[in-house]
Amino acid sequence: MNFDNSKEWHWFKGGILVSLLSVASYFIFAAIANRNYPFGITAGFGYLAGKFGGLFKTLSANPVIQRFAMKPDAFIEFFTILGLIAGGYAASRITGTFAAEGIPDLWKRHHGPSLWKRGLFVLIGSVLLGYGAALASGCTTGNILQGWAHLSLGSMVAGISFFAAGILVARILYPRIRGEQ
Amino acid sequence: MIIIKILFGLAVGFLFGFILTRTGITKYPRVMGMLLLKDFKIMKFMLTAVISSMILFHLLGDLGWLQVVPKNLDWGKLVGGLIFGAGMGILGYCPGTMAARIGEGKKESIFAVFGMAFGIFIYALTIKPVKTLFLSAEVNGDISVLLRINHWFLIVPAAILFGAVIFFLNKRFSDNNRLQ
Repeated sequence: MNFDNSKEWHWFKGGILVSLLSVASYFIFAAIANRNYPFGITAGFGYLAGKFGGLFKTLSANPVIQRFAMKPDAFIEFFTILGLIAGGYAASRITGTFAAEGIPDLWKRHHGPSLWKRGLFVLIGSVLLGYGAALASGCTTGNILQGWAHLSLGSMVAGISFFAAGILVARILYPRIRGEQ
Repeated sequence: MIIIKILFGLAVGFLFGFILTRTGITKYPRVMGMLLLKDFKIMKFMLTAVISSMILFHLLGDLGWLQVVPKNLDWGKLVGGLIFGAGMGILGYCPGTMAARIGEGKKESIFAVFGMAFGIFIYALTIKPVKTLFLSAEVNGDISVLLRINHWFLIVPAAILFGAVIFFLNKRFSDNNRLQ
């Protein structure tokens, strides 16, 4: 089985458009949030965590909770996440690839259709994703699309670590994958 | 002012999500294909964006239109990076693509949003030991300052290196994902 990718944009077109968006948003961000702040996604999820943490009195002095609940970049990036959902919807409607899907097909073929099993992996994976992004101060967007473009040493180390660990885990999950060209 | 922030956030997200989905970066077999070293469309997309924005950022920076602020290096970048990478391998997508996938009708990504926020919440709970262990010492993240050279001596070789990687991957691997 193979997925339909005939309507996809070329990687070059997508890459150039993302770079223009990334530079333009950096400008506007500086104007409205009064600081140079690279566009990212992580702080938007941090906004949710910050608001959740705000429910507990004991956490009122926690620096991470405070930062995410108060800083303008977290507030803006929360709406970036909502925008991403709308953008994904619009693009998938245009190409006709919008499809309700529970578990990815590739996962089903190798690990079975169990919702509980995939659910457990989604839970573990997403918690690790959140923890790691917070500790590395940025995800793929903040540390690679922005950080590598800024030639930052921290982001180089973070980006290489993303792939090193990701490649190892993918090997363990799919030891017998076939996909030769 | 708050309305401007909301509209700006929504607009950036919409355009970003549209490009990601339209280029096919959000697909589970593509992300796994990259981590299994079989399908490099995402890598080519990413490095193209990095080359282009690296040149633009520094060009505009030299003109004084914006200020490039590189992220510092601390142990959190390495440890957090490895934790993030493990999560990306298990999930099959990263935070930005996760959100765009919800719009495409991929239901499991809705749960991942709450898992991700919960991961950051756990981070907040562990901030005290984490700070002393991983975030206490840091190195200036600006490589050109560390090496005391003009940043264009880094930008040009980096662009050539990334370009060569793209060229090699493009010759060697097709974008037709055949993972089974």
